[in-house]
Amino acid sequence: MIQFESVDKWYGAMQALAGVSGEVRRGEVKVLVGPSGCGKSTLIRTVTRLEAIQGGRVLVDGVDVGARGVNINRLRQRVGFVFQAYNLFPHLSAIGNITLGLTKLRKMGKAEARERALAELARVGLAAKAEEMPGKLSGGQRQRVAIARSLAMDPEVMLFDEPTSALDPEMVGEVLAAIKQLATNGMTMICVTHEMGFAREVADEVWFMERGAVVERGRPADLINSSAHPRLQRFLRTLA
Amino acid sequence: MLEILQNNWLLFLVGQYPHGPIGGLAMTLFMALTALALCFPFAICLALARLSPYRWLRLSATAIVHTVRGLPLIMFIFWTYFFSPLIIGRAVGGVETLIIALVVYEAAYLSEIIRAGIQGLPKGQFEAASALGLGYWTTTWKIVLPQALHNMLPSMVSQFVSTIKETSLGYVISAHEMTFAASQVNNVLLTQPFEVYAILALTYFVLCFALTSLARYIERRISAGRVAVATPAVAVAV
Amino acid sequence: MGYIFDLRGVLSGQYFDWFLIGLAVTIALTCAAWCLAMTMGIILTLIRMIPFRPFEWFVALYVEYHRNVPLLVQIFVWYFGVPSLLPRPARQWINGHHGEFLLATIALGLAAAAYVAEDIRSGIRSIPKAQNEAARSIGFGYLGAMGYVVLPQAIRIAVPPLINQTLLLFKNTSLAMAIGVGELTYRTREVESYTFKTFEAFAVATAIYLAISFGIMACGAYAGRRLKLENA
Ligand SMILES: Nc1ncnc2c1ncn2[C@@H]1O[C@H](COP(=O)(O)OP(=O)(O)OP(=O)(O)O)[C@@H](O)[C@H]1O
Ligand SMILES: [Mg+2]
Repeated sequence: MIQFESVDKWYGAMQALAGVSGEVRRGEVKVLVGPSGCGKSTLIRTVTRLEAIQGGRVLVDGVDVGARGVNINRLRQRVGFVFQAYNLFPHLSAIGNITLGLTKLRKMGKAEARERALAELARVGLAAKAEEMPGKLSGGQRQRVAIARSLAMDPEVMLFDEPTSALDPEMVGEVLAAIKQLATNGMTMICVTHEMGFAREVADEVWFMERGAVVERGRPADLINSSAHPRLQRFLRTLA
Repeated sequence: MLEILQNNWLLFLVGQYPHGPIGGLAMTLFMALTALALCFPFAICLALARLSPYRWLRLSATAIVHTVRGLPLIMFIFWTYFFSPLIIGRAVGGVETLIIALVVYEAAYLSEIIRAGIQGLPKGQFEAASALGLGYWTTTWKIVLPQALHNMLPSMVSQFVSTIKETSLGYVISAHEMTFAASQVNNVLLTQPFEVYAILALTYFVLCFALTSLARYIERRISAGRVAVATPAVAVAV
Repeated sequence: MGYIFDLRGVLSGQYFDWFLIGLAVTIALTCAAWCLAMTMGIILTLIRMIPFRPFEWFVALYVEYHRNVPLLVQIFVWYFGVPSLLPRPARQWINGHHGEFLLATIALGLAAAAYVAEDIRSGIRSIPKAQNEAARSIGFGYLGAMGYVVLPQAIRIAVPPLINQTLLLFKNTSLAMAIGVGELTYRTREVESYTFKTFEAFAVATAIYLAISFGIMACGAYAGRRLKLENA
């Protein structure tokens, strides 16, 4: 579904990604961990070309994302992206945030779009907040609306960039529950997160990144408890 | 165009001086500087009044500021023109009239800048001052105003630019400044109005653009300084 | 001083009409220049979005000229200067068709456009890049993201400063008196010189200016409150 082929990314003279390779198969859940600034966000942002890359290739369904002539807007509809800071549109209500893409991109009728949006909101437990403006929602509710907004476009893959790290602790659970449910239903996902309990439960594989490269990878149970990966252990201790 | 400039540059610069009253660019600058300097104390008082804990003081200062902001400058100039002789009891020249009108007008605008500057200060400053046991006036003079005025320096330069531009209204009451000088040149030449007014516009442009650029430069310097001060605090927090 | 304030002298008969006509011209001038300013301001914003250096320079020069030259001088350039560059028939047409009103409209409108363009630009700039990214991530292209997400928010931010520009434009129409446009200030001076009731004449004009200005300010305050968005 997604393939990274020795991806290089430079910010000026600073190398943010150094030859990252890896594959995410359909239905798999990968969790990305690593210290701040190691390139986690950058890596998943290359999947929808939010960041251009300077070397290597990123393939989605066998199509080179960076190739000329790729309809990037179509591709982005198929790959959902959830941001750390939610990035809801503050001028639209919760449901307006969701119907915007449906009516303008999917060309759905108003009624149909509303129905679909309400279904998505119900899925994340927010049907009652449909008409609320984002400014009036809590952080956890905002993030769930953002997830519903992505899901409404029927993506085949979901990318999460630290979806819970801007949240107050008591709201982390509700957002993680929504993501877990997605995983259970077989959604392909890459999730940047430091919630190791979550990783243990849903991840097929954990990738540990350092300085722009994936330095360890493996099943969560193997990685998290084994003493064979001292750097990872040291990092995990800093989280606790 | 060059020829016009060659024959009239002195008129543009100093008006009819030394054969008549001083005018031109010299007078424009003099009036702008004087007006700004004179309005300063009023502006500070207005700003403090607008931030004062006394309701009546706050309301009357707000009323003054809004009234001034609601009127065209030209109205002020005419009020001053007709009524300052009655109040002062003697004839008042164009230059004095314009300066008086500008002082009132600019004081209202400048007070808004000062108020914003004071409100922009971190609250900790006030708390620190009261923790030291300083009174209102000491806090205001020694702590609030110096910082606020420093941060406002760019806005102040912009205000000077506005004042320079506003002195051009001296034309309507025949105050001898640069726009008036240009109209005199135009009246003599008659045939080249575009050239004359282009020279005038260009002169204002060079002067005001230089000052605007200076304001931007100061702005950058000040905000760079702020970041430098702020960084260690962040480092400590992490 | 033994002076009796008496508005009847300046508010009766033809003088009342003069004030009315003056007010009408002031409003007409404000509206005409406002339309020009908005149109030109939007055009300048669009030009500035084209990633081609000379276009950016042109807009920058346009903005700096209009911000750094006194408005009265700009009016003089248009009124005294520009017609002298035109061919004779055009000049005659202008003179025959209230040229002073037309040229004052152009001068006021083009000057205000520079400020309008700046307000719109800072409105757009104040929208976080993340909003654009979120829109692009759903699948919107440049225009879709701009049109459905960035601009609607930018406009909300730009409206209060634009209302303030409207206030300034309204006040600045008074400068048109210097080239003989019969707007409110000009008529006030006429009433004053016919009746010698200086105080009353200017009191009436001041009251009219203040009433309209306060109306515009109130709109600005209301819009500022209504359009404010909480970040999300
Ligand atoms: N727009 C940019 N310009 C220059 N450098 C950047 C830019 N964005 C990111 N970087 C740098 O690239 C590196 C990787 O950044 P990235 O955001 O991917 O890290 P991250 O692993 O997501 O960190 P965090 O956990 O803090 O989100 C960092 O060193 C960062 O400073
Ligand atoms: Mg990140």
